Amino acid sequence: MKRLCIYLLLTSMLLAACNKSPVIDDVTMLDGNQIFDASLNHPENYLASSYLANPTENQLNTPVIIASHGYSASTFEWDELRVFADKNKGFYVSQVLLGGHGRTYQEFKDATWKDWQQSIKDEYEKLSKMGFKKIYLAGSSTSGALLLNLIKSNFFSSYTKPKGIFLIDPIVLPSNKSLTMIGLLGPVLGFTTSELEEGEKGYWYVYRPQESLKQLLAVIDLTRRDLEDGFSLPQDTYLKVYKSIKDETAEPVSALLIYKGLKTSKGANIDVEMVESNLHVFTRLKGRSNVSSTDEALQLKTFTEMRNKMLE
Amino acid sequence: MKQKILFCLFFFSSQYLANAQFNFSEFNLGLRLQKTQNLYWENGLSLDFSNDFLLNRKIHLKGSYVSSSLGSAIGSNAIHQESFIVGAEYRIRHLKRLQGLVGLNTGYFRANYEEDMFKILPHESMLLSVETGISYHFDAPYAFTLSTGYNIINGNGISTPGTLFPVFYQFSMFYSLKH
Repeated sequence: MKRLCIYLLLTSMLLAACNKSPVIDDVTMLDGNQIFDASLNHPENYLASSYLANPTENQLNTPVIIASHGYSASTFEWDELRVFADKNKGFYVSQVLLGGHGRTYQEFKDATWKDWQQSIKDEYEKLSKMGFKKIYLAGSSTSGALLLNLIKSNFFSSYTKPKGIFLIDPIVLPSNKSLTMIGLLGPVLGFTTSELEEGEKGYWYVYRPQESLKQLLAVIDLTRRDLEDGFSLPQDTYLKVYKSIKDETAEPVSALLIYKGLKTSKGANIDVEMVESNLHVFTRLKGRSNVSSTDEALQLKTFTEMRNKMLE
Repeated sequence: MKQKILFCLFFFSSQYLANAQFNFSEFNLGLRLQKTQNLYWENGLSLDFSNDFLLNRKIHLKGSYVSSSLGSAIGSNAIHQESFIVGAEYRIRHLKRLQGLVGLNTGYFRANYEEDMFKILPHESMLLSVETGISYHFDAPYAFTLSTGYNIINGNGISTPGTLFPVFYQFSMFYSLKH
């Protein structure tokens, strides 16, 4: 009888642990049901397919770059590129919100990595069908893996080929290796909590459900295995990886895996630049409290280089 | 070059130990197949020895060499990396065919990042791991061990190699040179 009681107690404790839900502050957290990514209500301020719904011939010949953010982030991550484009002209920015992101915790929890990726595919398809001739892509962190998967799966073969792809701190291997144990620890933990700086609140999820962490691990693990087998870029598509040499989120060695596994259509090496930074997604400075002049210079240099490439 | 010297040292020392007048009660040499959780197959050699003076053969001393060059990196773009491991393990039910084991290992890890631009990244590290599993002894001279381990030192994106992952599983098949 005593043994049975202990067994029941342990089982109920385990079940209780498995049903953990975070306490969400709707007023301040993106996880809640009051704050949503601004692109959901005002796509005309973010998506080129919306704000250039009836493009002129001149606009169709102007480069447009689809910029997509990382896991648990939002369109906020590429706001500074849009500001740079507005100031310097010459290209359009289309800020894509990944599927399942920028909404409630439950929607984030329920989304798969293919849902995340679908938003990029939708915007690319629209711009291609509208007749844009110079489409570029920029992906930060997890979007790096999502874009590599699009290349590997030949998604672009049905559309206008992308002119170029820029990956900022793409993740193929996680820096925090406890992610590899999410299958074992996830059901017990339920979710993990991330520490946000004051300026980041409302733009990133505070809570990361174990279901979505499993999706993150699934997509980066698939990408790693695809890179081990090797694959090529679409014909005449340029790609450059920018990778911080110290990064507590995306292992810097991710850049090497991409360099070894991805070649141009002619079999040449892709471009990689290992940058002197300890920031994850070093092109996003907005919302951070400690930004140095070196960080600002690096951001400007990278945006300028991306713009120059698009205007070649 | 350094890795070849270490490999030769490992190989010849095992030969020496097997033939020396130490009268080991057990000396096993075998193949080790190792899989890291969410990363590579890294295979290689393993040796294991024990003696009555090691708590009546409850303690086993061991050494292993594993490399992705003998696993996932064969014919693929996986990174070439290798581990030199030494350790000790405590055997539970040590006189039975099926034995339990818990162990503590240390050693040296290095990865070859090939291109100069990546050599600024940390690519070598000390190893420190704990391990548990089972060992099964068939009629001599064959035995195998199956275990799982955790690398306490693992990659963090800053100061340790990024391809040094924490959880690994290994299967070793031993041939007993002395028993």
